[in-house]
Amino acid sequence: MQAVAAQRLTFAGGTARVGKWIVLIFFFIFTFLPLIWLLISSFKTNLELQTNAFGLPAIWQFQNYVNAVQISSLPRLFLNSVIVSVCSTFLTLAVTSMAAFVFAREKFPLQQPLLNLILAGVLVPIIGLMAPYFRLVNSLGLYDSLVALILTYTGINLPISTFLMHGFMKTIPAELEEAAEIDGASFVQRFTKVVFPLSRVGLVTAGTFVFLFSWNEFIYALLLTSRTASRTLQLGIRFFVSQFFTDYTSMFAAIVLTIIPSIAVYVFLHEKIIKGLTSGALKG
Amino acid sequence: MIVRSGQRWLWLVLFLAPAMVLFTMYFVYPLGFVFVTSTLEWNGVSAAKFVGLQNYIDNFGSRSFQFSIRNNFIWLGSLAVVQIALAALVAMILARQPRGWRFLRTVYFLPNVISQVAIAMMWAALYNAEYGAINQFLELLGLEHLTHNWLGEIGTALPSILIQQVFYIGYFMIIIMASTMSIPESYYQAAQIDGANVLQQELYITLPMIRSILVTSMTLAAAYGLRHFEATFLLTDGGPAHRTSVLGIQLYKMTSALDYGHANAVGGTLVVLGLIVITLIRSTLGRRVAADEAKQ
Repeated sequence: MQAVAAQRLTFAGGTARVGKWIVLIFFFIFTFLPLIWLLISSFKTNLELQTNAFGLPAIWQFQNYVNAVQISSLPRLFLNSVIVSVCSTFLTLAVTSMAAFVFAREKFPLQQPLLNLILAGVLVPIIGLMAPYFRLVNSLGLYDSLVALILTYTGINLPISTFLMHGFMKTIPAELEEAAEIDGASFVQRFTKVVFPLSRVGLVTAGTFVFLFSWNEFIYALLLTSRTASRTLQLGIRFFVSQFFTDYTSMFAAIVLTIIPSIAVYVFLHEKIIKGLTSGALKG
Repeated sequence: MIVRSGQRWLWLVLFLAPAMVLFTMYFVYPLGFVFVTSTLEWNGVSAAKFVGLQNYIDNFGSRSFQFSIRNNFIWLGSLAVVQIALAALVAMILARQPRGWRFLRTVYFLPNVISQVAIAMMWAALYNAEYGAINQFLELLGLEHLTHNWLGEIGTALPSILIQQVFYIGYFMIIIMASTMSIPESYYQAAQIDGANVLQQELYITLPMIRSILVTSMTLAAAYGLRHFEATFLLTDGGPAHRTSVLGIQLYKMTSALDYGHANAVGGTLVVLGLIVITLIRSTLGRRVAADEAKQ
């Protein structure tokens, strides 16, 4: 009797084990193989792409990558994306760390309602605000400029960044500031000398979030710019289809080039990124 | 002393001002603008005319809007239910640390560091009817009759875009897995002594312990479902015949056409739907979580 039960258990264990690996392998194939296909195809001729989809290229066409850079003005797109992402990250951190400092360390009337109001912004589906943002940027005379994107990304990230910074600053012991105050530190010095330097982890978390958002943002880059000169990388990718026309494999090369920086950062920092994400998630 | 407190107030206001100004520009004014102009017939230039709820009525009566709102709910369900369920399944498997689990975790998360735009362009190539890898693979297997113009046919367009997103489980898997791995080992050991098998352990220990993170994930996924835009915009632009359209696409088209009244009626619908969905998930599933946590 017991032997039968034990046997049944190992049988169940066996199917569970097979099922487990089917699931794991399925998701491995789904996430990994398309990327590999794209990478290998980017070295093929267009004829090979249609006749030999799954083999290796007969001759590796590095020329595709030369075409990619020439046709797509990638360097310009990269530069624009770096400018927009770096500026909006620093601007967001500056604005929200000051606000979070006041909310977390001071007492004043209407403090909680004001904080709740800002944090409620997290719930707003930003995509619904296309028309007003379009109008706002136009009335400021900023349409089709990188400044428009920097300001918009800072505005959009205000609630989440305030939330992260406020949560972090709350955990800094008050004694440190009190000691600084006794030593004659002013309001500004308590921020610049005590709270801000101690918020490094919070700044990195919020900064990473804003940077990634700005780097990957597409909708507002699409809506608020029109010239090639103010295109970010993500928006630029959209125009590859018309730029490369029927030279598909050069277009693949251009897409691969846009992906490489993200993957490079991920390969070096994946443990940190995953750890940061999980600790943030557990706290939130 | 008075000088000091006056200075304190001055600094306090100065520290808050930039955030409040930006918040007013990007949240207070836009939300007001959306709901006020959604009741107007207005192209942004000529005089506006008050039309009450007519814009909303027009929208709900148009086929493109009906398809869009239906598709947003399909997205919402696919992400909040199917994607989260798959993410939880994989998270539970990987949390038991089978061979290669760190590597697999890294690979599964990989698509999340690549932009949605690049991913969508890659899938456009995979689905392409002329040279796409999917059709060529089917031909290789001798299954020509199963090939499709995946993104161009009414029957396959929406499922194709959905699949391309739903199976990228990395982000939620990581969050759920972290929560799963923080459950004390002793709980499982005790269950093992009582003769519970792996499945029972996952059902009766893991699932109840990760309930709150599942609710958080579902809320986030539901919000993504309502905000969906990029992949559809790049893969089909809402076609064929509005079958894959979503509210974001409608809104973009109307805003570009300077039809502010109808655009903001779509925007208003999105904002209200977003608040309703989040509140509903929080108050039904979330309340049970809160009650459970209070018991413990």
